[in-house]
Amino acid sequence: MWDLILNPFVTILAWLYALLNQDIVLAIVVLTVIIRFLTYPLLARQQESSRRMQQLQPQLKKLQEKYKGDKEKMSQAQMKLYRENKVNPAGGCFPMVIQFPILIGLYQAIFFALAATPFQLVDLSERLLIPGLDSLIPLQRMWSPVPQLLDFLPELDLTLAPTENPTYALALPLLVLVTTWAQQKLTMMTGGHASAKKEDDDEDESPSAGGQAAAMTKSMTTIMPIMFGFFSLSFSVGLSVYFVTSNLIGIVQYSPQGRRVLDKVFRSKKADEAPVVVELEDDAPVTKPRRKARKKKPRRK
Amino acid sequence: MNSIGKKRLWLCAVLMCMALALTGCVGARMGVSWPSVSLVELDGSDHIAIAYNNELSILTPANGAPARLISPINGQPLRDNDNNPRTWTLRGSDNDGSQFYSAPLRLDEETLLVADNNRRLLKVDSVIAEVARSIPLADKVVADPLVAGGLMILPYQNGGISARSLQDLQEVWSFPTEEGVWAQPLLAGDMVIIAGIDHNLYALRLETGQLLWSLDLGGSVASRPLLANDRLYVGSFNKSFYEISLDGIILSHYETQNWVWGSPAIDEYNIVYVADLSGFVHALDTESGLMERWSRQIAERGIRAGPLVYQDRVFVASRDGKVYWLDRRDGELINAREIDERPELLGDMMLLEPSETLQIDEPLLLVTSVHDARLLIAFGIDGRQTWVYPR
Repeated sequence: MWDLILNPFVTILAWLYALLNQDIVLAIVVLTVIIRFLTYPLLARQQESSRRMQQLQPQLKKLQEKYKGDKEKMSQAQMKLYRENKVNPAGGCFPMVIQFPILIGLYQAIFFALAATPFQLVDLSERLLIPGLDSLIPLQRMWSPVPQLLDFLPELDLTLAPTENPTYALALPLLVLVTTWAQQKLTMMTGGHASAKKEDDDEDESPSAGGQAAAMTKSMTTIMPIMFGFFSLSFSVGLSVYFVTSNLIGIVQYSPQGRRVLDKVFRSKKADEAPVVVELEDDAPVTKPRRKARKKKPRRK
Repeated sequence: MNSIGKKRLWLCAVLMCMALALTGCVGARMGVSWPSVSLVELDGSDHIAIAYNNELSILTPANGAPARLISPINGQPLRDNDNNPRTWTLRGSDNDGSQFYSAPLRLDEETLLVADNNRRLLKVDSVIAEVARSIPLADKVVADPLVAGGLMILPYQNGGISARSLQDLQEVWSFPTEEGVWAQPLLAGDMVIIAGIDHNLYALRLETGQLLWSLDLGGSVASRPLLANDRLYVGSFNKSFYEISLDGIILSHYETQNWVWGSPAIDEYNIVYVADLSGFVHALDTESGLMERWSRQIAERGIRAGPLVYQDRVFVASRDGKVYWLDRRDGELINAREIDERPELLGDMMLLEPSETLQIDEPLLLVTSVHDARLLIAFGIDGRQTWVYPR
């Protein structure tokens, strides 16, 4: 089953390698760009879902205050609020669930394509779906960032860890760490968790679901870069290339300018739609149907 | 947020990261290669040596039990601190994490040479199964070495060949290759034939390492060629099998279904048997330019190990966890034995014929798996399982 995802990736990577003058690093970069570009609609949907959830936070908080002690009623009111606003609380997860195997597949494709041992290479024989790619095996694993400066920057063995490569390869785990941190930071700022800090500070004995998610994202911003930087020390250099490329694309995707361009490409208007304002009344916690919703304005009293 | 909530969130985050890392490693194999099985003389009789991952063991052919260490002074079994009899096992954990994928060589009555996957050549005292000396190598070794002309010829995993004198273990010559050498070198007269992952077949002068010729086969060559009737027979990853003259000219070739990794086998009628990684076995007539006698898909998965031929049978071990007995005349399936839990059968098989030095009275087919509980399985020629060596 997993091979259905993995084998096409391995094949495309080998095909790109042939197309791009047998430059495996370029092939990894191009494949990562293509995959991240194609999965952008899923990412955009996930971000949109997070944004809408964030917009509902004040009203959710009001509901929590109103129905303190009556969990059943609070739950009903929350569901009604979600329904009226056409928000699925788990909606942000689905695109992520779809993206996850794709990204893992890409990661593994690089691992398998850069087979450096008999065990890894014997697997590759069952993964190349296009005839004629066999003659490319093994893919060139030595790579130089500046071929003209081979005396100063010796070639990297993409199948070995940075610690087993020339000293300058140690810059890669650092790059992985920095780019992962930058991407995580942008995720927090644009992905519906901008108020993470505020939520964290506001939270009391009964933390809201949104607050927990925000706090978790905040924790991830610290843990993920360190862990991925650490992994990169022991993983092959080829995988670090993937991590850095993937993170840089993520940074572009999460940046406001990048999102604007990508939204235009994918004709996504949802991001520009005004949120539906729902007022809570005493006897009807959620009243305003979506069609009657107004654009959000400061209310005068 | 209260402190318990924060702790829980941190734990969740760490678990998520670990899950991500573990998921990312799905399918990533931990091992480097598959077991190597060979014969080695110990205490005056032939024994089976099996090298895989972090252990090299020597077994008794009759029952697959680890060979016991015997004191050369009193002929009594050597015992460990708990008074248990010691068996012949060289552990990586006792030797700076050595990994073994290469057959040991007997240097003299009391010394074995073992090239490990940690860039070391180990001189092992075979009486007590302990490393006496460690010599650094330029690279890891993943294939069996060749001994010829007083030299030990070591193929390197990431490229190159090193020939060392058996007298002092100093390097006599070396030869670079662009990619690794994952097959045991072959001796052909005064030439050493090297199969390169870099697509080339090299012929070197044994004494000096001088390149005599090289031949690009269009795909990686990962198996030791077969030498028969002054011809070389070898397959490559470009889905082809070749007949090559000893001066490096392709005489004929045959297209297979997938990569050919295992060495071929030949019978007395000059029919060569070759398997590929699509699970096909092909019988080719070498007297008529590799004309196909028969070609059959035998296994559900690829066949990495080279087939063996004995009397009127061809034996095949596949990645699908089964061993197949075929009729060599038409490839008809005679028998198939499934190994418990169907571990991949990747290592080369070995056939032992009855002899006094082996102390067996019937032929044994040795099959290796990558499952520690069934690392080496011995079958009779009729398909009956004789013994299993678990680690």
